[in-house]
Amino acid sequence: MKVNPSLTTFSVFAIVCGAMFCTPATAQKKASFSDAEIASIAVTANKIDIRYGEIAKEKSKDADVLNFAEAMIKDHQGVIDQAVALVTKLGVTPKNNSTSKKLLSDAAKMNKQLRAKNGDAFNKAYIDNEVAYHKAVIGTVENALIPQSQNAELKGLLQSVLPVLKTHLEHAEMVQKKIAG
Amino acid sequence: MSNANTILKNSICLSFITLLLGSCAPTPGKTEHKTHHVEIIQMKFQPAELTVKKGDTVVWTNRDIVAHDITEEKGRLWTSGPLATGGSWSSVVTQNADYFCSIHVVMKGKLIVEQE
Repeated sequence: MKVNPSLTTFSVFAIVCGAMFCTPATAQKKASFSDAEIASIAVTANKIDIRYGEIAKEKSKDADVLNFAEAMIKDHQGVIDQAVALVTKLGVTPKNNSTSKKLLSDAAKMNKQLRAKNGDAFNKAYIDNEVAYHKAVIGTVENALIPQSQNAELKGLLQSVLPVLKTHLEHAEMVQKKIAG
Repeated sequence: MSNANTILKNSICLSFITLLLGSCAPTPGKTEHKTHHVEIIQMKFQPAELTVKKGDTVVWTNRDIVAHDITEEKGRLWTSGPLATGGSWSSVVTQNADYFCSIHVVMKGKLIVEQE
């Protein structure tokens, strides 16, 4: 089975862009996410990357890949913890929505593709997906979640997460280059 | 007698002055050490490059929402260990060092020891 990293990129962008610009009934009108929906998307996106990291820890023996995967698990869990603490404080219940559901269904496909790979092929597939996934998530956070969040603390948390995601991307690209060697 | 008393008083006075001046004068070869601060914020060491004198202390404080560490880069000769949000770690600098966060390996910093 061939891994298609662009699946993730396409999914995140397509979902968000679709929701924002392309829904026939709301053409020309930006669809908006509520804070509860934004919280759900944020938590889901973080959970997905933790799962990818766990798969990498099970399957890879490459020190750079393992170090990266470990950082993803810890950082994204840290972000989830802060997001959960914040929504609890605000009394907001994360609300599943078409975006978070689509993210999960696409991640399930990607998990299956990753599990079918081994050795160098796995390392490449994992890190290629991480590069694509982080690019997509950065775009979504910057262009949709931050502008649309209503609560100042939620917006602030998303703004704090952005440099973390950008550093993850830089780290992933470094490992990707090293693997391509 | 009066002259003898005056001489004694002057001698005592001079001794005090000598002691006082002696305690205030800088000790040869002894320099005052400073404490410098590096903040870890938005996934960067700020300042990323710091010039210090040998024996100065550097304190790193993590202002980010994720854990970081401060690790000597070339041979991992020293490390702070994981530093949680809000945590600080300090070290006395004795030589130049390139350091990084071993969790997020693209985060780098440099310590330069100024020649005296």
